[in-house]
Amino acid sequence: MRNPWAQTGNYRTSYRQDTSIFATHRELVSLLLFLGFLLVLPQFLSRTQVFILDLILVYSIAVLGLNITTGYAGLINIGQAAFMGVGAYTAALLAPQGLPFWLVVPLGGLVAAFFGFLVGIPSLRVKHLYLALATLAFQVVFEWTVGHLPLLKQGGAMDMPRASFLGYEAGFRNHFHFWYYVALAILVILALFFRNLLRTRYGRALVAVRDNDRAADAMGMDPGRTKLFAFALGAFYAGVAGVLYAYLSRAVVIEDYTFAVSIKLLAMAIVGGLGTLVGSFLGPAFLELLDVNMEALSNLIKALGFSVAGVDVASALRPLAFGLIIVLFLMFEPRGLYNWWRLVRSYFRTWPFKY
Amino acid sequence: MAQLEVENVTLTFGGVAALTSVSLAVEKGELVSVIGPNGAGKTSLLNCISGFYHPQRGRILFEGQEITRSSPHEVTRKGIARAFQNIELFSGLTVLENLMLARHTYLGYNLFQAGVFYGKALDKEVENRRMVEEVIDFMELEPYRKALVGNLPYGVRKRVEVARALSLSPKLLLLDEPMAGMTLEEKEDMVRFILEIRAQGTTVILIEHDLGVVMDISDRVYVLDFGQVIAEGPPEEVARNPRVQEAYLGVGA
Repeated sequence: MRNPWAQTGNYRTSYRQDTSIFATHRELVSLLLFLGFLLVLPQFLSRTQVFILDLILVYSIAVLGLNITTGYAGLINIGQAAFMGVGAYTAALLAPQGLPFWLVVPLGGLVAAFFGFLVGIPSLRVKHLYLALATLAFQVVFEWTVGHLPLLKQGGAMDMPRASFLGYEAGFRNHFHFWYYVALAILVILALFFRNLLRTRYGRALVAVRDNDRAADAMGMDPGRTKLFAFALGAFYAGVAGVLYAYLSRAVVIEDYTFAVSIKLLAMAIVGGLGTLVGSFLGPAFLELLDVNMEALSNLIKALGFSVAGVDVASALRPLAFGLIIVLFLMFEPRGLYNWWRLVRSYFRTWPFKY
Repeated sequence: MAQLEVENVTLTFGGVAALTSVSLAVEKGELVSVIGPNGAGKTSLLNCISGFYHPQRGRILFEGQEITRSSPHEVTRKGIARAFQNIELFSGLTVLENLMLARHTYLGYNLFQAGVFYGKALDKEVENRRMVEEVIDFMELEPYRKALVGNLPYGVRKRVEVARALSLSPKLLLLDEPMAGMTLEEKEDMVRFILEIRAQGTTVILIEHDLGVVMDISDRVYVLDFGQVIAEGPPEEVARNPRVQEAYLGVGA
């Protein structure tokens, strides 16, 4: 009798089993344990620490969307923050009308998906850098439009109401905890949805269009429709992230959805590993935690009194570390943190054997 | 009526005529070869049939339906599959995923069924996997099922290319130099596969430079030179044709 807990390697014996996500019981259980850990984690952390986790979760959703468009479908998108912004401004207009957040979140995603569809139209004609410019154009148009619309307070702060769920109010003390659980639940649902897509024709179609859209055409799929789908789905994820960001920061300001944020999201995707699901969580976690630690480090430097006349060493440290990390990753680990994760995972899959 | 009819197709790129009034008729179940020197327009002809190029004049009919202006995916959905000359596989995917991609239009589930991966999506995946496994079995690709295509040797990738076209369950299979650059043994294997495919009732149009193979296995041969059909008929007849000998060997040979 085989012990399911002592599996090493591949035990699949039917095509149905071969569609499963997890190779062994141990993998499934360790993921569930990790999710359980994430559920109790905020109970041991301060409000500011939970806020950082909130940011990681929200950015993970946006980066997941970016990975769909850019990582899997190969359509360079440098306007992901603008799609987040579309979701956030949708929330800023709908939430004060009294709509509950669980309705605003999908609505924000859908509006963003619609814009994603529109922005994707050039991808039917142009590729690579030219397409990147089209998405940049959207980013610029978005910022300009918001900056000139009185309806959106010309980019100034638009207040977001507090939310409640099943009688549970998100007040001052539990605001970050409340959104932690909401964002975690949404992230798990969206990640599972996309992981499932990856083992179906929708996921394969994305990669087919990335690797060879001529051959994809010869497989009977419409590459144009697949590209539009990739843009719309990626923008949907960004829109959802934008709504969550809006609720989380209790206000919508244009500064949160600028070009710089788009680049930050792209950096997170690259550091995590472009075109990988797990990388969509690793990248944001790594860069956000780096940012926090750099802040702590710069405070320490300030406290120790190291200073060059006229230069604020401490505040220069954060962008410096950010840039350095990205350059180092591009040079030494272009496949991102995901590659380390992959090595660890394959080690445990066959443990105690070498291969 | 023939299964595939190409009528007076003319294709030009600017002032260059790639195909000049080319006509071709293929009956159901036939194995027809198209030969000719480099640049004769063989691949251009396949590109016209499979929808990558649209000829300026003439028309193409498949099972009586006009496909002259159809896009590649529309042509594929009608039952014409194609293996490319310069391997056009999805290098970031495994052999299995490449073949499952060919089942794309047969997997009739929607986005939400796919997202929850239960019921119809799962059933269809398993059902089509079974079909793909038959192709893997047939093309003797079992050891490579889960290997990334980008990491496979050239001869195997050529075989995957044909296997992927077969996974489309085509009525007409277009093979563009499936044996180019292969060793003798690999060629023999490929010939065996092609004869087997044809024995199962699939029509085959083959472009090949190895005249030995062409003369051995074809029912009929079309010879193209400078974009025109210069000879057509059973292999032995074509081989005796003085214009063919001239095209291949030069004047006075």
